[in-house]
Amino acid sequence: MLRLIIRRLFTALPTLAAVILLSFLLMRIAPGGPFDGERPLDPATRAALERSYGLDKPLPEQAVLYVGRLARGDFGPSLVYRDFTVTDLVRQGLPVSLTLGALALLVALGLGLAAGLAAAAWPGRWPDALLMLAATLLTALPSFVTGPLLVLVFGLGMGWLPVSGWADGDPAHLVLPVIALALPVAGAVAKLSRAGLAGVLGQDHIRSARARGLSPARILIRHALRPALLPVASYLGPAAAGLLTGAVVIETVFALPGLGRYFVQGALNRDYPLVLGVVTLYAGLIILFNLFADLLYGWLDPRIRA
Amino acid sequence: MTVYAVERLRIFHGETPLVQDVGFAIARGECVALIGGSGSGKSLTCLTPFGLTPMRATGSARLIGEELIGRPERALAGIRARAAGFIFQQPLTALTPHLTIGAQLAEAWMQAGAPRPGRGELTAALARVGLDRPEERLHHHPHRLSGGQRQRVLIAMAIAHRPRLLVADEPTSALDAILRGEMMALLTRLRREEGLALLLVSHDLASVADHADRIVVLNQGRVEESGAAAQLLAAPASAYTRALLAATPRLDDPAPALPAPGETLLAARDVRVSFPRPGWRRGRAVAVENAALSIAEGEAVALVGGSGSGKSTLARAVARIGPADHGTVDWRGTPLPSRTRMTPLLRRLIQPVFQDPVASLDPRWQVADIVAEPLHHLRPELDAAARRDRVMRALGEVELDTGYADRRPNVLSGGQAQRVAIARAIVADPELLLLDEATSALDVLVAGRVLALLERLQRTRGLALLMISHDLAAARRLCHRILVMDDGRIVEEGPTERIIAAPAHPVTQRLVAAST
Repeated sequence: MLRLIIRRLFTALPTLAAVILLSFLLMRIAPGGPFDGERPLDPATRAALERSYGLDKPLPEQAVLYVGRLARGDFGPSLVYRDFTVTDLVRQGLPVSLTLGALALLVALGLGLAAGLAAAAWPGRWPDALLMLAATLLTALPSFVTGPLLVLVFGLGMGWLPVSGWADGDPAHLVLPVIALALPVAGAVAKLSRAGLAGVLGQDHIRSARARGLSPARILIRHALRPALLPVASYLGPAAAGLLTGAVVIETVFALPGLGRYFVQGALNRDYPLVLGVVTLYAGLIILFNLFADLLYGWLDPRIRA
Repeated sequence: MTVYAVERLRIFHGETPLVQDVGFAIARGECVALIGGSGSGKSLTCLTPFGLTPMRATGSARLIGEELIGRPERALAGIRARAAGFIFQQPLTALTPHLTIGAQLAEAWMQAGAPRPGRGELTAALARVGLDRPEERLHHHPHRLSGGQRQRVLIAMAIAHRPRLLVADEPTSALDAILRGEMMALLTRLRREEGLALLLVSHDLASVADHADRIVVLNQGRVEESGAAAQLLAAPASAYTRALLAATPRLDDPAPALPAPGETLLAARDVRVSFPRPGWRRGRAVAVENAALSIAEGEAVALVGGSGSGKSTLARAVARIGPADHGTVDWRGTPLPSRTRMTPLLRRLIQPVFQDPVASLDPRWQVADIVAEPLHHLRPELDAAARRDRVMRALGEVELDTGYADRRPNVLSGGQAQRVAIARAIVADPELLLLDEATSALDVLVAGRVLALLERLQRTRGLALLMISHDLAAARRLCHRILVMDDGRIVEEGPTERIIAAPAHPVTQRLVAAST
C-alpha cells in the first residue's frame, strides 16, 4: 500500500505541473493586469512596478522562475495586498476554509449515509420516497440559495444562531455556513448510497446472510453497507472540489475570512501570484483527496487490493 | 426420528400454483434428494417454507415439530438461525466479499446464540470440511479462495451453529466434475457424523444416486415419483425419471461411432497467455504456458481440466478471440495473424458458443437479428432477404421453432437460448466451432438434447469442434481426441477411448473417476 501511495504521489506531479502551467497561461491571456485601475498609472511608474515584480521578462522565463520558487515553497508576493506575501494570506485564510470544508464533509457524509440507509431499509415505502425527494431537492438547490434561506429562518427569524463572521472559530458561527455547504453534498451522498445499497441487497451473499437468520439491520450494516459505499467513495474527489469552490460563495454569504475571498478578489484584481498560489493549493488538496478515495476503495472492497 | 416433514405443500406466485401437493419426510441422519429439471419447482419447494423466496406457501412443513407455513418473517428468521443451515449453488458469490473467512465463520457459529468461538475452534471447523491451511484462511478474504474452497467454507458455515437440517440447493452444479464428487462425499460424511437431516436439490439424478437415501422426482411442480434411492434408480416407474437417467452421459455407454477426420485444419504451437495481476499488485500471472494443439477437418477435440486450469484461455487464444503473449496458430498451413489483425474472412472460420446462453444474447435484440449479426460483418455481400433466408435455415438446423425469430431472448428457456447461440455460430458457415462449456449451465435433459444437436451438426456439416468441458462423459460423445489441462499446461493427450481406458496423469485419473 505504501508503494501505491508513493507511486500515486509521483504521478500526481505532472498533473500539478499542468494545472500550474495552464492557470499561469490563462491568467496572462485574460485581458487586464494587476496595475490597471480607475486612474491609469503613468508609463514610468508602471514600468518600474513591472520590473520590480519581474513582469517585464518574457512569459516562458517568468513561468520557469515561478515554478522554481514554488518548488522552494515560495508562493511570491501579493501584487495587490502589497504588505503581504501569498503565504501570509494563505496562512490566514486556509484554516478557516479547511475547517469549514472538513466539517461540511463530515456533516454531509453523516446526513447522507443515514438517509441512504433509512431509504434502503424501507425500499419503496414512504421513508424511501420522502428522503429521496428531499435528496433531489437538496442537490438541485445551490448553496447561495440555501445559505440565505437558512440565515432568514434560523438567524433572523428564530434568532437562534449568528448569521455572519468568524469570531475566532466560535462554533455557533460555524453552524449555518457548514450546513449550507453540506446540504447539496449530503443529497448526493444519500442518493448514491441508496442506489449502491439497492444493488448490493440483490446479491447472492445477502441471500446467504438472510438464510442464516441474521437481523435486517445487521445484514444492512455489516454485509451490505461497505460494498455499497463504492460509488460514494468515487464521489468524494469531486465532492471535495465542490466543497472547496462552494466555500467561495458561502464565505461571501456568511462573511467568513477564508481563502475563497482572496481567490475571488485575486482573480478580479489579476493578482497573479495569489490566484496561482490558491489554485496550486486547491489542486494539491484535490489530488490528495482522490488518493484518499482510492485507498478507501481498497478498504471497502478487498478485491481491489487483491 | 423425523426432523423435517413436508405435507401437501403448495406454492403460489400470486394465484398461479407453481408447486402442488409435494410431501416428504427426512429423519435424523437421512438424505432426501429433490430431483427435477429447471422449472420443476425443486428450489421453490425447499426454500419457500423458510421464507427465502417471495412466493406464498400453503400446506404444512414442520421442522422438529415446529410449523413453518404461515409464520411471520421474524419467526422464520429465528428458526433459520437456530435449526437450519443452507448451502446455495454459486459459491463464488455467496460469501460477503469484504469480511474475512474467520469473521464470517464466527458470525455463523454465533447465529444460534453460541458464545464467540476461539481461533482453535474456527480452525478445526475449517479443517473438518477439508480446507487446506485452515489457520491461514481465517484471515483471508473470500476472493483469494477458489470456487471449491469457498463451497467448503460455506458448508462449514452452514453447520457451524449445529443445525438439525441442512438444505443444499444444487450445491455442486457450479463446480467441476472432480470437485462435485469430493463435495458430495463431504456432505455425506458430515451428515453421518452430525446426524444431520439433509435435503438435497439437484437436476442431476446420477450425481446424487450414491448419496441419497430417498429420492423425490419433481416435474412441473408435481411429484412424478418418489421412493428409496436404490429401488427408484434400478426400476424407475415414470417415463420422466427414465428420460433423466438416460440423458446423463456415462463412461460405460458404448463408444460412439464418430465421422473420420480429414486434413489438418488448425495447428497451434508454443502458446503462452498471461494477464496483469488484479488490483494494486504488479506483474503478470501466467494462465497458459507452452501449449500446442491441432485439429483436423471434421475432428472434435476436447479440452478438459478443472476450473482454473486454463482451458478456456487457451481455446480463446487459439481461436484468436482472446489475448496471447506469443505462439503461432496455423490454419491449413498458413499462420493466422494476431487477434487484433484478424480479417472478417478469417473470423468466419472459427465461431464460438459460450457457457451461459442467456448472458451471451443481447436481451434487447430480436432472435433473428442476433443470429444475423455475424453475417453483417463476415458476409457483407448478402442482402437483407438472403440474410433472412440464412437465419431461418440456421434456426431450422438447430431445431428452434422459427416463430421465435421475431421474439426477444427473454421468452426463451436456457436450452432454446443455447440453440440460438449455436445458430448464430453456424450461420456464417464456420469450419471450426469453439464450444466453451456449452452444455454445463443446462440441466441434464436439456444438455442431452443440445449434445445430440451438436452431434448431428458434426455429421451433417462436417464441422470441426474444439470442446471445452470438465465432463469427460459428455466430451466422449463427440470427441475423437482429449487434451487434459492442469495449471496452464497440457499434461496428457490422446485418443478419447485410450485416455478413458488408461489415464496416465493423476488429473486425468481423477477426472475419469469423477465421471463414473
